[in-house]
Amino acid sequence: MKIFLLLLPCLVLVSCVDNTAQNNSKPRLKIKDTTFVQPEARSNPYAGVDVSPMDMSYFPVDYPMLKMANPDTIQPFARVIYSRPHLQGRQLFHGLLNYGEPWRLGANEATELDLFANATIQNKKIKAGRYIIYCIPQVDKWTIVLNKNIDSWGLKQDFRKDVDRFTIPVKQTSNHLEYFTMVFEKDKEGANLIMAWDNVEARLPIAFLDK
Amino acid sequence: MKKLLSIVSLFFLTLIVAKAQSTTEEMPPLDKSPMDMSYYPNNYPLLKISEKTTDPPSARVIYGRPQRNGRKIFGELVEYGKVWRMGANEATEIEFYKDVVINGKKISRGRYTLYALVNPGTWTIILNKDTDTWGAFKYDPKNDLLRIPITVQKTTEPIETLSMIFEKNGSGFDLAIAWENNEVKLPISTK
Repeated sequence: MKIFLLLLPCLVLVSCVDNTAQNNSKPRLKIKDTTFVQPEARSNPYAGVDVSPMDMSYFPVDYPMLKMANPDTIQPFARVIYSRPHLQGRQLFHGLLNYGEPWRLGANEATELDLFANATIQNKKIKAGRYIIYCIPQVDKWTIVLNKNIDSWGLKQDFRKDVDRFTIPVKQTSNHLEYFTMVFEKDKEGANLIMAWDNVEARLPIAFLDK
Repeated sequence: MKKLLSIVSLFFLTLIVAKAQSTTEEMPPLDKSPMDMSYYPNNYPLLKISEKTTDPPSARVIYGRPQRNGRKIFGELVEYGKVWRMGANEATEIEFYKDVVINGKKISRGRYTLYALVNPGTWTIILNKDTDTWGAFKYDPKNDLLRIPITVQKTTEPIETLSMIFEKNGSGFDLAIAWENNEVKLPISTK
């Protein structure tokens, strides 16, 4: 009986951890930025290591790993290739980004969205293909732009090649994300493309029609 | 009795720690081996926005960049005689924007994965058509398009981070791949 009484708090603790795990996994964005890229001791004669490292997110989430586990997995629906700037003590909307000015949603090369299937965003049909994606942030909403000027550098947008613009709400979170993060999350008709940095987060819903 | 209690509590503590760790693993952390991208022509995206080119690029490679971190790479971390993913995390991807010729074989424009079978003095570069996969864990030679043995050159200085860059050559361009003190050049012809 004594043992049982002693074990009880342990059991409660375990179940608490369980709950936090579930809460955390919902927004899936509490990132522990503990792995910093080691700066190179000497200069690299081929290609230096970027301060804002590139990353890639697929939908379905972790598609390459799903495929590794099951080679018969159907083709992916989308992927985004972006670079991950970090705050380094700066504040997002005080010097880093300006309201009303285009932002490349990344660093270095323009952020690329590959749609492997036809999609619908806010009732507009978007053909499968390669796009770049950028954002015009406002206080309470972001305008997300799909553009056809692929393979370009993120600092200069060619507005003539805009395909479509979508306005989405942006919300404040209790997170403090050091690194800019883009991930897909599964939704009823497809996926939300989550864009999060510091304490702001926006979601672009993308429905996939056929596959 | 006390001993039993402490053992039991230790067990639960371990359970809690294990739970907490598995939670962290579910989040998308920053990759230890960051991804990078190289184009041919070099720095194509910059050329494009400064209007120095109107042609599409010829090729690009997307790869994870592991670091040496004091380890011996070839012959140890990358074992001889085994297929190496030549990168980290997602399988290394090469894309040709136009048809090219490698080792006399026509390769249609499109996305491919790259691997290397590493041996002392020679790497066999493998072009495979199974894309969007992870590392070389499910590498299947059935999907190979070509294999080309290439003599390894020694670099003049040690290379800490796996590096890939395209270089112009007589009939097109080379993909130079370098790490530790090894360098191979995969010749790609555009003619």
